[in-house]
Amino acid sequence: MKAIMLDKETYKQLLNQYISTQDEGALYRAERLTRNFIKKNILPEEIIDLHIQVLRETYPTIYEEMVYMCQFLLETMISYGLAIQENETLREKQLAMRTEISLAANIQKTLLSSTLPEVDGLDIGVISVPAKQMNGDYYHFVTGKDGSIGIALADIIGKGIPAALCMSMIKYAMESFPEQLMNPNDILRRLNHVVELNVDSSMFITMIYAKYKNGLLTYASAGHEPGIYYCKETDTFYNLKAKGLVLGVSTDVSYSQYEQELKAGDMIILLTDGVTEYRNGDQFAKRGELLRIIRQSMKLKAQDIVENVYQHFNSLSEYYQQDDFTLIILKKY
Amino acid sequence: MDSQSCVSIQLERDIIYARQIGRQFAEQLQFGLVEIARIAATISEIANNIFLYAEKGQICFQIMEGTGQKGLRIIASDVGPGIKNIEKAMEDGYSTSEGLGAGLPGIKRMMDEFEITSIVGEGTRIKVIKWVRSCDNEG
Amino acid sequence: MNLSIDVLEKDNCSTVRLSGEIDVYTANKLKTRLIPLTEREGTVVEVDFSQVRYMDSTGLGVFIGALKSTKKHSSHLKLTHLNRRVLRLFKITGLNEIMDIEER
Repeated sequence: MKAIMLDKETYKQLLNQYISTQDEGALYRAERLTRNFIKKNILPEEIIDLHIQVLRETYPTIYEEMVYMCQFLLETMISYGLAIQENETLREKQLAMRTEISLAANIQKTLLSSTLPEVDGLDIGVISVPAKQMNGDYYHFVTGKDGSIGIALADIIGKGIPAALCMSMIKYAMESFPEQLMNPNDILRRLNHVVELNVDSSMFITMIYAKYKNGLLTYASAGHEPGIYYCKETDTFYNLKAKGLVLGVSTDVSYSQYEQELKAGDMIILLTDGVTEYRNGDQFAKRGELLRIIRQSMKLKAQDIVENVYQHFNSLSEYYQQDDFTLIILKKY
Repeated sequence: MDSQSCVSIQLERDIIYARQIGRQFAEQLQFGLVEIARIAATISEIANNIFLYAEKGQICFQIMEGTGQKGLRIIASDVGPGIKNIEKAMEDGYSTSEGLGAGLPGIKRMMDEFEITSIVGEGTRIKVIKWVRSCDNEG
Repeated sequence: MNLSIDVLEKDNCSTVRLSGEIDVYTANKLKTRLIPLTEREGTVVEVDFSQVRYMDSTGLGVFIGALKSTKKHSSHLKLTHLNRRVLRLFKITGLNEIMDIEER
């Protein structure tokens, strides 16, 4: 109430100026004054009250009807004033929540970080970009004592915080296994058990687990988006054949294991459905589009290829990233 | 005018009557226009709650005169289902999103003091006080 | 993005006609309608997908939840008239092997 008194004189001046000259400058300065009012949390009904006071001072003989009109307006503004205050509180709450989420996202980034292993004859590239702040995709690499590497790529259904929480569970479950000593299908079987016991009934996780050693890729899939094999000799892309139920649906599931031999120039492409399920306006992307971009940049380092693909999708005019996007490329040289 | 008065709320027109009584008290206490409008809006809100959800209830007005300050106390009490989750009802965005008006947070914002007690199956009692501020008299 | 859900209940059989898109925005609405239908013992819940243009993995989650509920309550879930795109999702995830799905 005190603050408004200081601006009362300015308001009065501007109003009188406008009444006598209809000057645009007065309106402009009134607009600036309003911003000041908003900054001081002055509500619409208080401005009308101010208006009535100025009217009475300037026109002491004003008809009471005119004042009643203003009072009527003032009464109708009370609800707007409340709505403004409520919005302000909700905005502050949202800000606090956003800060919390970005802290959580940072923790998650640390959890997710997996250093790329160095393997003779294999060039590895990875990109993983969440749709929102938190990532529901999960990948990691482990190096075995025998020179093999293990690659896990999972897509947790849903996005955001629930998916991220689920991701941490997967991470710690996997760390409790002697992963380097186990086969891909055994890892999936045990993970399925953990997920089945621990997640909500409408939640599930898809995963592909692959092991690479001396030019041979051994892998198993739990309902995951099929990987792709590029054969240099025939210059053709093939889907990596794999069957297996998603994690977390049935109690006892056994997974089949598959093999793919890699020769110099061959590639393995692992992805989550965020790469292929994106929507460009009303159009759905096809795997063909992905392969076209990979083919274009095939000569580059694996890391440059994955970044190229992401850049391409991201630069499409109507594209907006709906789902978490993870792409891994292994290039044999 | 007495310093105390009660209005029982059963029909929608009782809400209007309660606003009228409340406004008279507020004018008597020389509240400013804005504060009078807020007091009326508060009465609407609590009276509406009684009208919509309770079997019967009443709203009582009382002029408070303490050391150096004057104010209006409004107490709404009803026999009704009570509020199951007061915490939820006090949350911003809860009643407004349902289009139910300013809700309890709105009342709290408009008044200086706010107190609610509710027993499920028995009823609800809301007590609010609006103090006359010295700068209200300046205007 | 919208989904309309029509439920026809007759004796021991409920038919759920879906029309629109099943995604993160509509999945919850579907879940609240579908799950209670599967909770009656011995009932057959048939979901007609012929007017479903699109479904994402959140939608798939709803049907996994419904499947689990049928096992718990001895009811049965049947999906009919899936388009190629939606069916692909059930095939990739291996769900087509444990669910009763009739192709379009």
